[in-house]
Amino acid sequence: MSEALLRVRGLTVAFPTASGPGEVVKALDLDLDRGGSLGIVGESGSGKSMTSLAIMGLLPKGATRSGSIEFAGTELTALRERAMRAVRGDRIAMVFQDPLSSLNPYYTVGTQIAEAYQAHRRGVTRRQARRVAIAAMERVHIEDAARRVDHYPHQFSGGMRQRVMIAMTLSMEPELIIADEPTTALDVTVQAQILDLLAEIRADTGAGLILITHDLAVVSEVADRIVVMRDGDLVESGTAERIFTDPREPYTRMLLEAVPRIDDEIGLLRTTAGEAES
Amino acid sequence: MIRFLLNRVAGMVVVLFLVCLFTFVIFFVLSPDPAVQVCGKNCTTEAIDQIRANLGLDRPFWTQFWTFLSGLFAGRTYGTGANAVECAAPCLGYSFQSSQPVTDMIVQRLPVSATVAIGAAVLWLLAGVTAGLVSAVREGRFADRFIAGLTLTGMSIPNYVLALALQFLLVVTLRWLPFPHAVPFGEDPVQWFMNFLMPWIVLAIGAAAVYTRLTRANVIETLQENYVRTARAKGLGPGLVWRRHALRPALTPIVTIFGMDFASLLGGALITETVFGLNGIGKLAADSITKNDQPVIMGVTLLAAFLVVVGNMVVDLLYTAIDPRVRVGSAT
Repeated sequence: MSEALLRVRGLTVAFPTASGPGEVVKALDLDLDRGGSLGIVGESGSGKSMTSLAIMGLLPKGATRSGSIEFAGTELTALRERAMRAVRGDRIAMVFQDPLSSLNPYYTVGTQIAEAYQAHRRGVTRRQARRVAIAAMERVHIEDAARRVDHYPHQFSGGMRQRVMIAMTLSMEPELIIADEPTTALDVTVQAQILDLLAEIRADTGAGLILITHDLAVVSEVADRIVVMRDGDLVESGTAERIFTDPREPYTRMLLEAVPRIDDEIGLLRTTAGEAES
Repeated sequence: MIRFLLNRVAGMVVVLFLVCLFTFVIFFVLSPDPAVQVCGKNCTTEAIDQIRANLGLDRPFWTQFWTFLSGLFAGRTYGTGANAVECAAPCLGYSFQSSQPVTDMIVQRLPVSATVAIGAAVLWLLAGVTAGLVSAVREGRFADRFIAGLTLTGMSIPNYVLALALQFLLVVTLRWLPFPHAVPFGEDPVQWFMNFLMPWIVLAIGAAAVYTRLTRANVIETLQENYVRTARAKGLGPGLVWRRHALRPALTPIVTIFGMDFASLLGGALITETVFGLNGIGKLAADSITKNDQPVIMGVTLLAAFLVVVGNMVVDLLYTAIDPRVRVGSAT
């Protein structure tokens, strides 16, 4: 086993509600080795996105987090905001679900890629930052990057926008990339391209990857290990191979069976609302 | 871009033409016979007919309208022979009351209204946007609630009440300001400033309240945007997140509303100018309405419409500069 990159113990995220604090993530444990990839799978509301925001220290106002998040030997929960800011974007980068709303419509993609670089590397000139932006765009296979760098987000297609988001994380050469539903807002044909790109980048840079998704088909292509979450609880975790071939929990089986297959009877869609609920 | 401009200008011309037509119908066709008014008391039927002929009121509607329109662009001549009076373009006719050219009356008063509008606009923009930002940053805290109370008060007090109350407080009771009287800027800038201070405040308070609410709502909404989260996730400091990613999108809609508000204010602040005795377009409008001085009412109405239409277009052009999404002609 190689060195641990991320070690989460007893992570709990709670929101204040009328009837006391409501826990959306309950005492979660996660492990990710350096260069490894972890898929967090669950339905919406299972707490998977809150887990990623908790790691980034970007929880919405009012949310509280407790437990331990150890990243490359540093306890993130003990860091002050300023020190956490130095980690964000530089060492842990995040790709969000909807690339259109996640990019600021008022600035060129080049500016938005470059500003992260400039924020973390002192004394960088605009020119250098721009070159980094172009290089990052080339790396995610955006053609004609030197020209496209001056375009605005609305001038890109959905898949290209997500490439821009990924380029943004790449420019900093982070040790960990968290991708939260990176393909959900995209066409099916484009989804595969983005997943391939994520896999390629992981292989090239050796960055760890956390892939958060509701889609088991997505996670099967990229992740070595899988964590299944439901209502803030960890249902099952294990290697991807084992989860797919030998799911131990009924809920995991339901999730697997909910993935439509080509030989399905037409009109039949299985949900997870059946017996696993009780 | 040029195509877009031409389109806009064409639209503007159509709107202004319609405004001309409607005001013409309302003021010259539907209202009482202007000739009777011009003639005054002790008038004979012959005299009225004479005036009608002079004013061209005996001719068919479209001819009259055409004469009015061409007068706007090329000037027109009233009467015939030795009595002929030349009215240079843009000719809006003559006041029934003072016999002055309406164009001159408007041009004389425009600087006063412009001074009132510019001063008030500067005040309300500064106050409104600042208060809105403070409110957004301190959302739900004391400062936010305090400002919310102020805006509610500011929005509820009618202008004339505020004007009179201010005048009573600052001029009569505290004697901080002189009673408003016209002082040219060149003569005594301090007096000039003091003179305009009250009208500025009165006009600014209501608008500032609206701008405060708008700014607050826009900023709070923008801070919820996904791209603000992205900016934070990149590790940008709060200053940069605010300045670059929150403020610009939040303040852009304010440009639109400001352009419209400012343009319509340039066309005269009726109540405020009247209360403070400022000889601007607003007072001119009020006076001409009470005296049923149709050419003047019509001139003021056309000016207001023109300013709003032009203001609208300026805002549209500004928008293409500010928001890349509406920039025309950019390739995809």
